[in-house]
Amino acid sequence: MASEVTFATASIRLQNLSKQFKEVLAVDDVTLDVEPGTLVCLLGPSGCGKTTTLRMIAGFEDPTSGQVLIGDEDVTELPPYARPTAMVFQSYALFPHMSIYENIAYGLKARRTPKKEIPGMVQEVMALMELEGQEEKSPAQLSGGQQQRVALARALVIRPKVLLFDEPLSNLDAQLRVRMRGELRDIQHRLGITSVYVTHDQEEAFSIADLVAIMNKGKLTQLGSPIDLYRRPADRFVAEFVGLSNVVPAELVQSNAEGAVIRVLGQEIHSQQPPADPSASISVVLRPEAIGITIGGKGGIPARVRTLAYVGPLLRYTVAVEGDGTVLMVDLSNPRADEFYEEGTDVRVDLPKEVPALLS
Amino acid sequence: MLIIAVIQIVLLTFIATWVMDIVIVEDSREVVDGVETIAFRRELIGDPLLFVLAAIGMSLPLMSKRLRREPVMLLAIQLSIVALLIFVLWPVAQVFVEGFEATGGEGGFSFEQFQRLFSRPMVVRASRNTIWLGVTSATLSTLIGAIVAYTLTLTDIPWKRMLRFLVVLTLVSPPFAVSFAFIMLFGRRGVITFDLLGIRQWSIYGPDGIILVQLISNIPLAVLILMTVFASMNRDLEDAAEDLGAKTFRVLRTITFPLVTPALLTAWLLNFISSISDFGNPMLIGGDFQLLAPQAYIQRVELFDPQLSAALAMLLVVPALFAFGLQHWISNRKSYVTVTGGARTGHVRKLPGWFKWPLFSIVLFLGLFNLLLYGSIFVGAAVKAWGFDYSLTLRNVSGLVIAIDELRNSLFVAIVAGLLGGVIGIILASLVTRRRFAGRGALDFSGTLMYAIPGTVVGIGYIIAFNAAPYLLTGTFFIIIVAYAFRRLPVGLRSGVAAEKQIDPSLEEASLDLGASRPRTFAKITFPLLRTAFLAGVIYIFIRSMTDLSAAIFLSAARTQLFTVRMFNVMVRGTPSEAAAFAALLIVIILLALGLLGKLTGKSFVDLFRIS
Repeated sequence: MASEVTFATASIRLQNLSKQFKEVLAVDDVTLDVEPGTLVCLLGPSGCGKTTTLRMIAGFEDPTSGQVLIGDEDVTELPPYARPTAMVFQSYALFPHMSIYENIAYGLKARRTPKKEIPGMVQEVMALMELEGQEEKSPAQLSGGQQQRVALARALVIRPKVLLFDEPLSNLDAQLRVRMRGELRDIQHRLGITSVYVTHDQEEAFSIADLVAIMNKGKLTQLGSPIDLYRRPADRFVAEFVGLSNVVPAELVQSNAEGAVIRVLGQEIHSQQPPADPSASISVVLRPEAIGITIGGKGGIPARVRTLAYVGPLLRYTVAVEGDGTVLMVDLSNPRADEFYEEGTDVRVDLPKEVPALLS
Repeated sequence: MLIIAVIQIVLLTFIATWVMDIVIVEDSREVVDGVETIAFRRELIGDPLLFVLAAIGMSLPLMSKRLRREPVMLLAIQLSIVALLIFVLWPVAQVFVEGFEATGGEGGFSFEQFQRLFSRPMVVRASRNTIWLGVTSATLSTLIGAIVAYTLTLTDIPWKRMLRFLVVLTLVSPPFAVSFAFIMLFGRRGVITFDLLGIRQWSIYGPDGIILVQLISNIPLAVLILMTVFASMNRDLEDAAEDLGAKTFRVLRTITFPLVTPALLTAWLLNFISSISDFGNPMLIGGDFQLLAPQAYIQRVELFDPQLSAALAMLLVVPALFAFGLQHWISNRKSYVTVTGGARTGHVRKLPGWFKWPLFSIVLFLGLFNLLLYGSIFVGAAVKAWGFDYSLTLRNVSGLVIAIDELRNSLFVAIVAGLLGGVIGIILASLVTRRRFAGRGALDFSGTLMYAIPGTVVGIGYIIAFNAAPYLLTGTFFIIIVAYAFRRLPVGLRSGVAAEKQIDPSLEEASLDLGASRPRTFAKITFPLLRTAFLAGVIYIFIRSMTDLSAAIFLSAARTQLFTVRMFNVMVRGTPSEAAAFAALLIVIILLALGLLGKLTGKSFVDLFRIS
């Protein structure tokens, strides 16, 4: 392994950041702190403001109000070329008229790095990204994965304090995407460089991020570790966005500081957290994989199978609960031969005994 | 911040001293006791309005906080605004100012003035003839152009490549060379009319002649516009119609035609502008058929009535601007022709013979006719006396030596104008596509405006605007170069914009992000990627400048004579064979320029003219 590139990384602070495009409020009062060395994913549907937020950190967009701080420095007024950031673009943005070497050396020349230091720095980062021997090739001669590595090498070589990723893997095929995100995560960990990563892919975000910031309609809805978001979504939007969920209305039976008992579809289950507002109507998130299906027997809720489908390793059912007709999605992983139920079969649904939190 | 302020003040002062000037003039003269005392006073010359507009133009971009942080960008935008103001808007406005004065008003505006102007029979006749010519010529050339374009793109006729080349051949000649070739073939002593057919009564001179010549010159433009559209049309739609039971003509009428209507309108409007702006052809072949563009020249240069000339120029600009505005509006609307992913385009369909061969004959006839025109120019240049003595000689070619100064002047002017227009076009294109700032729309508009301004009007506008101190430029090469560069700027600008839109904006952003300043990003990333568009723009402007007559005839002076002006005089006064040698040389130069373009960029001349 080549000698490790070292970084003087820094924190990022977004303070009440807003961006208005004519009629649209693209980013709405976002405040976010990113500790040095962590990787934060901005996750949300298209048009939620995540890319605009990233572009304001890079300096491509001027915020309508609010500040961007990198380390202790307020960079809000600085043009992109004066900021200590480096971005990996969705299209990679490799300069088509330059060789791989020239692409990587570009930022060093632009920043007036002494001429004799440039080759060494380029070689070092090319070794880190396993790009040795590609110096003279043109971007079009490389595969998608290699282009991705060049884009990252070009960003790393200028030793930015902050790395920015704008959906960097969306142009790769599914398999390569999974491999590259492992590599990205690995490099980011080893270098310990503060990173902001924009994606609309929940799985990608959860597998790569220390913290995930969910954005919706310009607002930062929830910030937390992947497991936090999955177990304790702050609202229905987060619950549905971070994974397929059944959101079912519930009735509060009793609650105290340690938790609550609720009634869902006629069954009582326990919540590890009390509702935020006991007077409001509440609902509960039932993950498809937490629900079971049996046939015969007395327990559970009577229901009828409406559809079944194989989704990768899972058998995914939708069942309609007898009576009120609530439709639930149920995933069975590794199903036994006697667990294949035809459409129209009467089954019984077992709800989980306990849920982590409630929505109100 | 201090540096920016200093640069701004220096720049404004520089512009101010050019736009406005203080001169010392004699006030009074007294003779007391044999001693003469002369009193002087200071007088401001120049137009305060122009200064105010320039100052506003410069301060608009200053309002952007973002631009204030980037002095080089700020300066580029300010200079563009001021240059377009002085060299595009100002001269055109001058035509209107002087045109209204011709009507007896004091620069004001009233309908009475128009009544007075239109009480002159010549003005009425010239206006009516111009509109009639524009409508007839545009309609016919669009119609024929559509048939030719359809045949060349969507049918399975033979010799397509060669015909495609022959049909658009006349794009690369000075337009009035076509009328000259017509006169050689169909004139009073024309080879076909006089020698072959023995016709003595009929004359090519007059409206029929102009229309025929304009058809030959303008059909290629319509063909190029429509070929692009036919080639990108979704063929599935026509196939679907046929599949549902529609026959050949019904498919054409109900599917093909409605889909290409916007393009037909565009071709019509651009041909209309080209037809009413035409100066050289009517001068050569128009006879006594009065038109606005030639009359504006005749009134100024031969009858010494500059104000009436300006009024005629003004009347010419109005319909041209109207057509241009309409074209702009059409092209900005959503197009039907856009192809969605997966659709098949431009597939050639098998057509019944009774339908195919008549179409083929039309295209073949047009191609051969163009060949005949060009051929007669080259043959004419090589023979002793066209129409009388067809023995070969080099005398006409060696006779070109008398025009060696004019040729050098023209090459110099066209090269510098090409480079200047190309550079300004590419910078402007980059500004209007990539930056948001106050006045961007106005910049784009003024950069494109000249497309609608007939050459005659550009010539008259420049003469009026730059005829007196402190704007005295007439008689210099500078005025011709600037006129050409800005007149053809729209094509440089549009081809730059089209190319810039092909470039992923994140390339430029990546460069900025990696620490390169805006100027460095433009030099290292944007410009290299726009190289082809830039070269195409330069060569287009070069060719158009080499072949221009309508502006040259006003702007070239004794010291700055241009080749086309000399050639025009020879065509009017010299023998056909002498003149043919001039035209042949010009065509060779243009072909060389196009060859150079092909070598540098791999583009053919058809691609080049498609951008216009």
